[in-house]
Order: sequence, then structure tokens, then C-alpha cells
Amino acid sequence: MTFGYLLTLLVNGLVIGAFYALLAMGLSLIFGVLEIVNFAHGEFYMLGALAALLAINYLHLGYWTTIVTVTLAGACVGWLFHRALLGGLAGHSFERSLLLTLGLGMVLQNGALYIFTATPQIVRTQFGMSSILLVDVRLTWVRLFALVWAAVGLIGLYLLLYRTRIGQAMRAVAENREAALIVGIRPERVARLAVMAGIALCFMSGAALAPVYVVTPTMGLIFAFKSFAIVVIGGFGSIGGAALAALSLGVIEALVGGTMSLVLADAVAFVAMILVLLFRPLGLFGTGVRI
Amino acid sequence: MRFGALLVGIAALYALPLCGLSEYWMTVAVTACAFAVLSQGLNLVYGYGGLLSLAQVTFWGLGAYAAALLAMELGWSPWATLPVAGLVAVLAGLGVGYASLRLSRHSFAIVSLVLALLVQLVARDWQSLTRGPLGIPGLPTLRIGDVEFASAARFYWPMLSFALVALAVIWRVMRSRIGRLLLAIRQNEALAGSHGIDALAHRLLAIGLSALLSGVAGGLFAFKLTIVDPSVLDFYYTESMLIMVIIGGPGSFWGVTIAAVVFTVVPELLRLSSELRMVLYGAVLVGAMMVMPAGFGGLVVRYREKRWRARLA
Amino acid sequence: MRCVLPCLLTMLLAGTAAAEEPIRIGASEPMTGTAAVFGEQAKWGIELALSEINAAGGVLGRKLELVVEDNRCNPAEAAKAVTKLIDENKVVTVIGALCSSATLATMPLIARAQIPLVVTNSTAASIAQLSGIGGNPWVFKTNPADDTMAQALVEHLKKEGVKTLAYMAEDTDYGRGGVQGFAEAAAKAGIKSLPPEVFPQGTPDFSVLLAKIEAQKPDRIVGYFLRGDNDNIMRQVEAMQLKIPFTGRIDLHSAAMAMSPEYLKAGGLDHTTAINPYQPDWDDPKNLAFVEKFKKATGHAPLQMGLYEYEATYVLVEAIKRAGSTDPKALQAALKLTKYPSILGATIEFDDHNCAHNNALIQSIEGGVIKVIELSKT
Repeated sequence: MTFGYLLTLLVNGLVIGAFYALLAMGLSLIFGVLEIVNFAHGEFYMLGALAALLAINYLHLGYWTTIVTVTLAGACVGWLFHRALLGGLAGHSFERSLLLTLGLGMVLQNGALYIFTATPQIVRTQFGMSSILLVDVRLTWVRLFALVWAAVGLIGLYLLLYRTRIGQAMRAVAENREAALIVGIRPERVARLAVMAGIALCFMSGAALAPVYVVTPTMGLIFAFKSFAIVVIGGFGSIGGAALAALSLGVIEALVGGTMSLVLADAVAFVAMILVLLFRPLGLFGTGVRI
Repeated sequence: MRFGALLVGIAALYALPLCGLSEYWMTVAVTACAFAVLSQGLNLVYGYGGLLSLAQVTFWGLGAYAAALLAMELGWSPWATLPVAGLVAVLAGLGVGYASLRLSRHSFAIVSLVLALLVQLVARDWQSLTRGPLGIPGLPTLRIGDVEFASAARFYWPMLSFALVALAVIWRVMRSRIGRLLLAIRQNEALAGSHGIDALAHRLLAIGLSALLSGVAGGLFAFKLTIVDPSVLDFYYTESMLIMVIIGGPGSFWGVTIAAVVFTVVPELLRLSSELRMVLYGAVLVGAMMVMPAGFGGLVVRYREKRWRARLA
Repeated sequence: MRCVLPCLLTMLLAGTAAAEEPIRIGASEPMTGTAAVFGEQAKWGIELALSEINAAGGVLGRKLELVVEDNRCNPAEAAKAVTKLIDENKVVTVIGALCSSATLATMPLIARAQIPLVVTNSTAASIAQLSGIGGNPWVFKTNPADDTMAQALVEHLKKEGVKTLAYMAEDTDYGRGGVQGFAEAAAKAGIKSLPPEVFPQGTPDFSVLLAKIEAQKPDRIVGYFLRGDNDNIMRQVEAMQLKIPFTGRIDLHSAAMAMSPEYLKAGGLDHTTAINPYQPDWDDPKNLAFVEKFKKATGHAPLQMGLYEYEATYVLVEAIKRAGSTDPKALQAALKLTKYPSILGATIEFDDHNCAHNNALIQSIEGGVIKVIELSKT
């Protein structure tokens, strides 16, 4: 077990952990503010990747333009999502929102399958496969940039939540909905922005990872499941908890996969989720008794 | 009068294979029976119990695997495996129910999903137990004496008989005190508790019964297909069941029964590609949640209420 | 007098109409879902063969018609698909069902209906065991088994001086079964096998797995994974500049397309050898002609399914001709006497277990150019 190998595992674990974090935090934010579990979260990630595919392969936009555009497109889609579907459901029946987002996920995934088929699509950016050797670890530029974008997303979300008034309002609603309403926070506006932020993060993650992996209509499934597990482990409504759990999961999965087996690595999320549900059902950093 | 109509209906159902329907349509009929049992079980747990269960297909799959393993590994007769298949499913259901209902009914939905995914993982990866992705082929068929229930037309009779019994049991529970108590708990758990009603026990009963019937149905179906593989746990079944219960109307026995048959038969008639079918189901789910969350059963109830009020006014 | 001509005409038309009722061939294939690409190839292969045969006048004076049912690569749908084909569409024979579990569910049903089934792509070893002598006499299999192909490739690797093998397999019966067969063949040849790395289909990130394999320094990586993961893996192999050659059942054609041309020319996949029942990049003249007409008809190069279903259709039609009728029992007997010369160079004949032993292609890739190095008996 050389140092280089260990470093490779750590770096790869962090990259994937960062994206788990972006998705899980978005999911947690939407749940915290709207009490809605977004079962279509993975599909939004897939849509972001599809958008990047169209932009780079067909519209021939550059890499940087694409990511920025797709992220903004994600915010718009989030606005539409909230306006058209979620607005009426906030705070209402948990089951109704679950089924609605489940149905939406089915439409998006199978629609994409029908239109694009399951054949994987490759996104070739202007950077191609050129890579750089950093202390024994070889990273392609696109993978490095993806890490940069993940950091941008995390910092952006942090700034939004902790340095703006509306972010403060979001945290307030996530912590205690009734009290926030009493204090005069307008839930509609807060909810809309929360959804826009969450979906924008999904789109950005999809776009950033599209050139690193391949684009298929079912690529959202694994990410959706992992983000879901992370939110359960971190605690519903705890956004910081989701970030921490996500990064840890990414690194632990890489270490387990690199030293034991990949199947065991996948089971880590499961086992952690079940342990948390049995012994600390509110999550490791859980805030209110939300679910 | 209504009982007479029911008897005639049942007789007609039994006579179905004699009408000269092809083996293909008999297969569809067998599937409809299975879905009727599964979706009524979900109806009991969700429509009456208020618990959204995403593990209904898991109980069905556990029953199928249990029956298959007992028949192949221990050489049990298929009939003997069925009660055990049901029992395995019940244990899983009670486990999930007890673990999550201590918290809230929302966590039941989450935990049921986790169970569903976990069992899928085990079915695929715990090779020594479940034979992995290829599954367990070569299962024996059901027999009574010399009669082998191998073809769909023949298998229809045991399947229909089981389905009728299962539906009757569920109907009876729904109409009984237990059913009413479940509805009370669903509407206001705190209030029901203050009256001394044990919410947990009643909900566990509903989950257990639903799991039992689904498990036995799964076992039966295994001996029809003669092969059990991880696809028996596919999310496709959950999606279909949800549609049947939502459109039929959660809490409406006849609504869900009719929806189960309709949504088994109509997709076969339409011959849509399975992706388009899923898009349609998804769109229907979204639409129903927006405008018709109580399904057709709910519409019927609202219509009846309106007429009742009109008569009183 | 006035009615004679119309009457004669009607009788003539009725007569020809009856004689012209087409012979229906059924295909149970995964037309949707993850294996849809293969199902589509299968359909194209059969359609190409039928269009040629019909253009030449059909068989026994009748034209042939194809009915395809989607079995979605799972046993429950496969059971429905085959009963629909037999009962509703009255097919005389079924080709399919591609996915092994679907085929296994189909086999008892066609035994009960007493209609021949021609399997062209399923790889599970149990299918061969359950067919022919002592098993299901109505099932005929034309594709070679994965374990015999593995043996052929292992011999080749031994000659190349390979000492250690790593394994990467998708978490399906194809992946796990393939790797197991290969490891057994390797053990017999005295080649050391590292424990296999199994991954679930659709895994996004392979960097950890590839780094792990790289650290163990094997001579070759044996791969058993399908298109969905193949492209992703090859891209990440290029990203890491992993220099260890692959082997096993790699789809070289798609692998080469997933990598950048510069990397291939610089020797990216060099020394990778793969064995497959068929790959389109083979410069045998008969193959080139076949690939040409397949591309013209469908716009795509043929994959294994395309060729095998094409030849299976010809095998079936010849059997119908030999039997002189479409009676299932006669057809079954005629199938046993098949001696069809395959494009792959061997003759398709059925052994005791109703299995054929066609040639497989061992290919290598050097500087981005795929070559067939050997036709191997299976």
C-alpha cells in the first residue's frame, strides 16, 4: 500500500464525496424548507448532464460557458418545478409529495430512455483527456475542474445560507417551521429559492461530471440513492450534517473499495443508513423531529 | 340480491378458462389476480393505515424466493412452502413496521424503501443464498395428485381461488372494527391514542396481513414461472401497484380491485413500449397527486356525499 | 355464363390467398430496458435474413413473416411474450430470448407447446445442460458457451507468457459466470488469478477499482461487462493512462470508439486481446459483404446478435425446407440434421445437447487497429 495509492484513493473519494454533498445538501434543503422528499433529485442531475451533452456536443459551446449556462438553466427549471408542482403541496401531505416527485422522476427517466436510449453518450470537451500528475496522482483536467466546481457549489451554498438574509430565513424554516412563520418569514419566497438552489446544484453536478463519466438516462439512480442515504444519515433538515456525511461517505467508500471490494463499498451507505435508523433515527446531526 | 350478483360474478370468473381464451390472455388473468392481491394489501396499509409502503413488492419477492429455496434446497412440496413463504414476508413486514413506527409514519415510508433496496441487493449479491443474478431456475410446478397446474389456464384456478380468499379476508378486515380503528388512527393519531387505541398494534396487524398475503402470492407465482430471479423485486411492480391504489382510490376496496384489473389488462392491449408506459404511469401519478389524490374511489365518495347532502337539504 | 368468370376469379383468388398465408416466425427479445440495443440488433438480423429469403421466393411457396415480442430481459415478461407468440400469433418456431433468465423461463413453455426454440445469445451454462439429451428436446443453441471461449483465449494468453490475471466483471450472471469460467480455465493452464472485482451495473466512478487493479500489477485485466459500462470504463482507463492490456470478452469496437484516436495510435489499448462470438471488424471477404449489407439495411454495424440471429434464421428456414412442412415435430427432426456453413468458418451442427460449436474470433488491437488473429474452435 504505497503512499501514492492511498493518496489516489483519498483524492478520488473527496471528488465523489463533494458531488454527493452537492446533491445531498440540495435534497436536505428542499426537505427542510418544504417538508418534501424530492424523489426526482437524481433525474435532475441526469438532466444537467444531458444539457451539458447537448451544449458541448451539438451546440459546440465551450466548457466554462456550458457549466455556467446549465447551472442557470437548473435554477430556472427549479423555479418552474416549484411553481408548477410543489407550491400547493408544501407542508401538506408527505405522501402526496413523495408520490408526485416519484411520478415526475419516472416521467423524466423513462422519457429520456425513450428519446435517447440506454446507449451511453460521451461528452468530449476541448480539454480532451489531457491530464496532470499531482504528487503521484494522475487527474484529467476535467476531473480537476469538476472538483473546482464542486467547491464553488459548496462555497456558494454556504454563502447563501449563512451570509444572506434569505439564507437565514431558509435555515430558520428548516429548523422550526411554525416559529419561522410566526416571526413573519414568507414561506413562498423562501421555498422557491430553496428549490431553485437545490435543482441548480443538481444541474451543475450533472454538467461537471458529464465529461468525466458517460451520460445515460439512468445515471441519476445511484447518485439519488446515495444522496438519500446521506440525508438519512446526516439527519433530515440538517444541511451541514448532509455535507459532512457526504464527504465522509465518499472517502470511506473509496478506502473500502480500494482495500476490500467494491460491492462492500456500496454496502457502506446501506449499513450506515440502517444503523442510524435503528440507533439514532433522527440522524447523526438531526435537528427537529421532522419525519 | 347483491350477494347473488357476487356469486354469479365469481362463477363467471371461474368459468373464464372454459371460454376458449388463449394461453396468453390466461397469463394476463393470472397476473391480474396477483396484482389484485398486492394492491389490496397496499390499499389496506396505505388507504386504511395511512402508511405509504414501498416494500409491498419486497414481501412478494421474499415469498417467491423463500418458496423457491425451500422447494429446491430442502425438497419441500410446493404447497408446503407457501405458508412459510408468507411467514417470512410477515416477519420482514413486522420488523420494518416495528423499527419505524416507533418514530412516525413518515419514517415507515423511508424504511420500507430501504428494505426494498436492501433485499434487491441481497438477491443480486448474496450468491450463496439466492444464486445471484441468474436466480433459481427449474422450480417444480404445483400438482394435486395427477393434475399438474403448469399451463396458465390450469394455474388460473388455484391463483383465482387464493385471490378470492385473500380479497375476502381484506374486505372483511376493512369492514370490521379493525378497519374503522385504522381509519381513525390515520385521521388523527393523537386523538385515537387518547381514546386508548393502540395505534402501533393495529398498524402492525395491517402490515402483517398485507405482507402475509403478498408473500403467499409471490410463492404461488414462483411455481407458475418456474424461475425466480432478482427481477421479481423490480421497482416496476411498485410503480404499477401505486398507480392501481392511487387511481382506484386509497381506502376504496372496489376502486382498487377494478383498477388492478384495468391496469393489468389495458397495458397489454395498448402495446406501448415499456418506457412510454412508465412515462404514462409517472404522468398519471403526478396528475393524480395534483388534482385527484383520492382517486376514483374518492370521487365516488364525494359524489355520494353530494347526493346525500342534496337529499337532506 | 355471366357468373362463371367472376366465380372462377374468386376461386382463384381464394386459392392463392390460402396458399399465400405467410409462415410466422416468432422472436422473443428485449426490445426495451438495458438490453434493448441487443434486442434491436437481433430483430435487424432476422429481418435482413427474411427479406433476402422472401426476395428469393420464400420457402415451400410461402413467404415468411416475423413477429417480435418484447420480453424486457426478465422471466415474467418472457413467459408472457412466448405465450403470446405461440397462442395469439401462431408462430411455427421461436427465436430468443437473449437474456439467460428469460430463456430459462421460456424453455419449459415451448416444451409444453412442443415448438422448437432456437437460442442464439444466452450464455448461462445451465441452458446447454438443460437442452437436448436428458433435457428439453425442443431447444437448440447456436452460440458458443462462454467457458469454451475462455479456454481458447487462455491458451492464447499462455503462449503470450501471461502469468497473472486481474478480473473486472459486472454484477450479473453474464459477468460473474464469465469470470468464473475464465478463472477455471486459467487455473488449468497454470495462470494465477487475482480475486475478481465485481461492480454493479451503472457504477459511475471506476477510478478506485482501476487504481486497485493497477496497484496489484497483473499482466492482463479480464473484462466481462456490457456496453453500458464498457464505454465509461474505457474512458476512465484512458484518463488514468492505465497501461495494463485487457482481455476476456471485450467489445473492442466500442472500446476503441470510446477512447480518443491519439491515445489509441500512441498504443493505448495495445496487446489487448479479446474473444467474442463475433465482431464486425474482421476483414474476411464474406464478413465484409455481410457487414456491408447489414449497414445498408439498418445504418449500423452488426454486433454478435445481428449475425447470429441472421444465421439462425437461415438455419430455421433450411430446416423447414428439409422437413417439407411446418409441422413442429418434423421441424425438430430436421433441425437436428442441420449443417449450415457459418460466415465464421465452421459448420453449424447440433451435438447431443442440441448445441452448435461455431468458431469464435480472437482479436487484438494495435495502434488503434483491430485485427483478427485467430479463428478458434469452441
